[in-house]
Amino acid sequence: MNMLSVKNLTVFYENAIAINKLSISVNKDEIVGVIGPNSAGKTTLMNTISGLMLDTKLKEDRRGGIRISIFGTIEFLGENISNTWPDKRVRKGIALCRERHPVFGESDVEENLKISGYLSSKEQLKESLSLVYDTFPKLLAMRRRKAGLMSGGEQQMLAIGIALMARPRLLLLDEPLLGLSPNIQAQLVEAIKKIKQQTNMTILITEQFARPLIPIIDRGYVIENGMFAFGGNKDELYGNPDVRKAYFGVDYDEE
Amino acid sequence: MLLSVLVYGFINSVILAMVALGFSITFGISRVANFSHGGFYILGGIFTWYGLIKLGMPYFLSAGLSIIIIGALGALMYKVILIRLRGLELSEVIATLSLGIVILELLRGLGVFGYEFRNPVFMDGSVDILGVGVGIQRIIIVCAGALLLILLHFFVHHTKMGLAFRGVAQQEHTALSVGINPDLVSMLSLAMGSVMCALSAVLILPLGVISVDEGYDILIKALAVCIIGGLESTLGVLVAAFIIGYIEVLTSMYISSALTSVVPLACMLGILLVRPSGIFGKSKEIEERV
Ligand SMILES: Nc1ncnc2c1ncn2[C@@H]1O[C@H](COP(=O)(O)OP(=O)(O)OP(=O)(O)O)[C@@H](O)[C@H]1O
Ligand SMILES: [Mg+2]
Repeated sequence: MNMLSVKNLTVFYENAIAINKLSISVNKDEIVGVIGPNSAGKTTLMNTISGLMLDTKLKEDRRGGIRISIFGTIEFLGENISNTWPDKRVRKGIALCRERHPVFGESDVEENLKISGYLSSKEQLKESLSLVYDTFPKLLAMRRRKAGLMSGGEQQMLAIGIALMARPRLLLLDEPLLGLSPNIQAQLVEAIKKIKQQTNMTILITEQFARPLIPIIDRGYVIENGMFAFGGNKDELYGNPDVRKAYFGVDYDEE
Repeated sequence: MLLSVLVYGFINSVILAMVALGFSITFGISRVANFSHGGFYILGGIFTWYGLIKLGMPYFLSAGLSIIIIGALGALMYKVILIRLRGLELSEVIATLSLGIVILELLRGLGVFGYEFRNPVFMDGSVDILGVGVGIQRIIIVCAGALLLILLHFFVHHTKMGLAFRGVAQQEHTALSVGINPDLVSMLSLAMGSVMCALSAVLILPLGVISVDEGYDILIKALAVCIIGGLESTLGVLVAAFIIGYIEVLTSMYISSALTSVVPLACMLGILLVRPSGIFGKSKEIEERV
């Protein structure tokens, strides 16, 4: 069943094109990767899917800042949500874990999670809390720690936890592995796999490199300069020499 | 003499804190500096007076209604005016300041002046504290202030909406991406700040006459306390209120009561020179914010 379909999405910042006629679809129960180098448009894509871009655009318009233009459509479960505000999209089931883990720095871990359970009932809140603590036992141990004082890896776990608290059907993860050591990356990938198993959430995940994602994704898109460059299942991704060279960190000689 | 400085300084400080708290809460959550604070304060007092004296309502009803109306006015101001100006700080200040001045000057034009405009104290009489006679109204103010702080703390840390307030205050886009509507939160923060403003008017105005000029005075005091404390820190508001509160009382007792109105401004300028972000501004003790 098709869950998300992005059709012909085009996003401009002033006259610079960040996303160029991009179409992407995600089926229910899939984990789909979006792979692309710096400034390929991954964050722009994720923010547009979650709707945050509408808010950014509005604020820029109000202050007479940069002009953002968005074209194309975004459908979620068959419904056109292109003009739906981000908080409404969360109610429909889309939650975004933003790039570079912007957590609520002055609140402790537990308060971060409680804030993010805004839409949940009391029972749901309890349930989500135990899912998050179960997935990231480290967070449980640090539940009274002020979020702003945690390490990058810990904050990233919390950021994912924050998105989980919204109990999404479609979880968007924007570069969750950015800037983390291979060890922590492996832990997070493991956690994402576990989340998938326990909740059957559908997941769309962006990353600069494909290698760490390969164990978990079903399919992937490669985007460059905001444009579709390649797409396929993981064997197809790995089978393409250009993709392998650019996004798997595999050298020619290794072949 | 010393004891009365102690006692009256304390009470004066609590009054300042109450006056400033509404301003600080709104700013801490939504970043709107509500310069119509003084206008709302006097309007709240006049509504209470009108209901009580002119319409013959019971005191608590008239006061309660006034507080609700002022809260709604704050929300309305956000919904109608401020929502279009979000992020344009100067425009926000100009809008709220103009509204405040319009309210105050309108009241002046309508003839709000004189001894007639006076809300009675809740309860007559006085009690003896450390050998200093203190009117019951002042005792009520201090108790209400303490209660308000406790309620505020509970609200912010233990209710869903309070937690949403904290979320928006810290990371608007993260809050938005988990389903919190920042515009709703900002509107409620204005309503809440306005409610606290009107509540302080209801409690404090019976100590004197309701005058339009007091509205300007209150705005300056609230601003001074907030700037000195560090704009969005509740602890900062308390500390700053006590500093200014005691300096004011000392000035009026030992120097000249004509100079007390200069104290808040002088302290504010002093702080802006040495520590522009206020005693508890930003970075430091962020935990206390909201
Ligand atoms: N707020 C903005 N204003 C102007 N240009 C922007 C803005 N945000 C992004 N861009 C531009 O849009 C393009 C895509 O940026 P985006 O952040 O979406 O890329 P990304 O793939 O997430 O990159 P990274 O891997 O570095 O996070 C870039 O060229 C960037 O400079
Ligand atoms: Mg990015």
